Amino acid sequence: MSESFQLRVNDVEYPLSVDQGRNLLGVIRTEIGLTGTKEGCDDCECGACMVLIDGQPVNSCSYLAVQAQGREITTVEGLAEGDELDRLQRNLLEVGGVQCGFCTPGMLMSATALLAEHDDPSDDEIRIGLSGNLCRCTGYARIIEAVRRTADGA
Amino acid sequence: MTSTIDATTGDTPRFVRADGPDKVTGSGRYTADLTLTGMLHAAFRYSDHSHARIVRLDTAPARDMPGVFAVLTQADVPDVHYGPSVADRTLFANDVVRYEGDVVAAVAAVTPELAAEAAAAIVVEYEPLPIVTDVEAALDPDSPLVHAGWADYRSGDVRDRNSASYSSITKGDVDAAMANADEIVRSRYVADASHGAPIEPRAVVAEWEGDHVTIWTSTQVPYDARAGVCETLQLPTNRVRIIVPHLGGGFGGKCGFHFEAHVAALARVAKRPVRLKFSRAEEFLVPDRRREGMVIELESGVMRDGTIVARRGRAILDNGAYTADAGFFPQVAAMHIAGPYAIDHVAVEAHIVYTNKQPSGSIRAPTAPQACWAAESHTDEIADRLGIDPVELRRINAVDEGRVGPSGQTYGEIGLRRCIDIAPGLVGYGDELPDDEAIGVAIGWWPSFSVPSGAIVKLDDDGYGQIVTGAQECGTGAVMTLRQLAADELGIEPERLRMVYQDTSVAPFDLGATGSQTLFNNGRAVVAAAAQVAEQLRQLAADRLEAAPDDIVLAEGAAHVAGTPDRSIAIDELARIASGGELLIGHGSGTPPAAPELSGSSCIGDNGMAAWVAPQFSCHAVRIRLDRDTGVVRVLHVGAAHDSGTIINQIGALGQVEGGVMMGIGQALTEGTRYDDEGRQRNAGLLEYKLQTCADAPPITTEFVQIATAGAGPRGAKGLAEAPNVATAAAVANAIAHLVGRPVRHLPMTAERVWTAMHRTAEQEAAS
Repeated sequence: MSESFQLRVNDVEYPLSVDQGRNLLGVIRTEIGLTGTKEGCDDCECGACMVLIDGQPVNSCSYLAVQAQGREITTVEGLAEGDELDRLQRNLLEVGGVQCGFCTPGMLMSATALLAEHDDPSDDEIRIGLSGNLCRCTGYARIIEAVRRTADGA
Repeated sequence: MTSTIDATTGDTPRFVRADGPDKVTGSGRYTADLTLTGMLHAAFRYSDHSHARIVRLDTAPARDMPGVFAVLTQADVPDVHYGPSVADRTLFANDVVRYEGDVVAAVAAVTPELAAEAAAAIVVEYEPLPIVTDVEAALDPDSPLVHAGWADYRSGDVRDRNSASYSSITKGDVDAAMANADEIVRSRYVADASHGAPIEPRAVVAEWEGDHVTIWTSTQVPYDARAGVCETLQLPTNRVRIIVPHLGGGFGGKCGFHFEAHVAALARVAKRPVRLKFSRAEEFLVPDRRREGMVIELESGVMRDGTIVARRGRAILDNGAYTADAGFFPQVAAMHIAGPYAIDHVAVEAHIVYTNKQPSGSIRAPTAPQACWAAESHTDEIADRLGIDPVELRRINAVDEGRVGPSGQTYGEIGLRRCIDIAPGLVGYGDELPDDEAIGVAIGWWPSFSVPSGAIVKLDDDGYGQIVTGAQECGTGAVMTLRQLAADELGIEPERLRMVYQDTSVAPFDLGATGSQTLFNNGRAVVAAAAQVAEQLRQLAADRLEAAPDDIVLAEGAAHVAGTPDRSIAIDELARIASGGELLIGHGSGTPPAAPELSGSSCIGDNGMAAWVAPQFSCHAVRIRLDRDTGVVRVLHVGAAHDSGTIINQIGALGQVEGGVMMGIGQALTEGTRYDDEGRQRNAGLLEYKLQTCADAPPITTEFVQIATAGAGPRGAKGLAEAPNVATAAAVANAIAHLVGRPVRHLPMTAERVWTAMHRTAEQEAAS
């Protein structure tokens, strides 16, 4: 059954009319038109669809869109300030933490949440914080390094 | 933690890949992100059996559903058998289904849900046929056949019944050498199938305009995909345009021609654009790309001084239901079970055998991780038998300059010995370790692939330019690196050049993101194309600076006369001048290096994979900790030394090694496909098929041995993307064997298998 409601994504209000059973991932990608958030498994296994809801990382494939009403949703498109990459995005590029890029949006959201919670995370905290995001390209070392550098103020 | 500091300059590399900003901001489009006006959604009806004859196929229930625009079976497409080495399949299963992911029919409908419902409504009745799952039993002359009509298929391979391709390498007199050896070491190993598992599930979008079709697809090999569409739908090349948006990883899984023709055929009938988007389960079950399972038997004749004098080996590879690109695998597997050793007497052979399972195909260094795992476990068994340090045993036998390898190739200067000298020390080999830790070492090799490729380079009137190339970026950064090569030829900043790529109607042919070949071959083409533009610039500058063109140097955005930097003209100015006359355009291909000669050996089923151009070498050393209560292995540190020739992009190269090593750790410990008795996958999901996570990631320390190699690519570069995936699982295995006291003979070496090996009696081990 269709329901009309609003979602707030990256500080923009979107009026929507979608089926109650739709997941947040599908609504963000199809209705709202932000395709940076990726679908890798549709089953909470890979983390490619990670978004922030009130700052908490959530697999949007397994979260109902209607549940996100009244909350602040942040996607990868909301990280940069205009054309200026945020430090985490820039560090990830500069240390070589991006290869195919498909896990990157989800990885950035988990790392953003991690850094908001711990301003000086240990390597183990970084590893655990990103362990819900599968990356097949990098072996993770450079992603961990990018988070480390960002925490160190680079 | 591995540093990203450039070892040669001490600087932090600032090279940022050209596609990077797209990827970190979410603005970059991948195939599944595309939506076209009026677009329909595709769904496949898959086989309900692993092996059965179709006795009734009724699509009417699907066709009659409102919102369904096309329903196709083999009866609706040209009657074409295709396959790169054995033409053993058709777009849709025709009369017989041979694995659980065989496509029987395809539907295009207004929503994905309706398409799935319509596909399920198609009525298919079957007569079950005997199911073949065991590769050794499949070679029995009395085995049921997976392809009753095998003898009629078009192929150049050596085939017999369920053996879809066979290859052997023989050199010297193995029987005599075995008879004279001090010791004979025999081993048997079994590797499970595994998956490339890119994080992006594949997607295809097709749209027709008039008689020509544009297909956006997540392929690693756009020209191969185009060839497949043209062959199966009987179209000329210039009516099929393949565009690859950003590609979310491949690892070989997206090599080959897959579903582009199915979607194009649906779109043609529906008269609407159609999108196919695979679920994660489909990504596991359906494509003809898994890493093949393998049974490996090895026998070595060795002398007490450590010399391996004879090697006999046999590998049986699980082809699955169709041959895909696996026809050349037996020869590559044979090379890997022989190994990078100067053994005088060799008799190795391999079959790839049909079963009623998902087809196998090129996954990152196809055949190598499993075959190397077996061969290098065997090497440690030899060392153990002889009481020789395993690293020393490798030094004694490794191929080196002037030595002859197992296939009769004599090597020039190569870096394998130096890799063996370096890698063990990176993780503290020889140091005192706690009793639950050990270090394993293994060596590996992989060819560079010498094939044709093309590129166009142009500079516009403002001095900014484009590289138009057929090269395909799958994440490795190889395509990104092409800018550096062209920029250096032209004396401008790489950021001045934009890549135009992944569009078959725009750029010249390239083999694609396969065989680690991009930099090796397209790099050669880009350098050749840029050199033509550089020559034009030198001529223009020479005219203005009153010097000979050969004396003009292009550097730092200007052309100057050699020796007198102040006699110069800006390249921007030359570009402006050229825009009023002969435009600055170069095209290039270059000549692929020829394969080396072999001597003293013979190959049956020769696919050209026994003579390796610019071979790459590696040594990996892995320190692990074993929990003896549970059999759980944790990798603590990996040292990787690689001879992949000159390293052009240090940060990209390190990324390839780290990613390859991590994939190798997964193959070693957790990644294996489990099948039921009917050849169905039982763990087709990322919870059950375990990739390594960030929490598992060990530090990886990499060193490159950079030496000049004959026949290498631009500036002495060889390939690199696959080589790091070859030796890791073997090194992990040898570390485990040190702690367990014997090899774990089944890959992946899961905690359960390690624990079981720890608790085997000597009698059980002898009988295995």
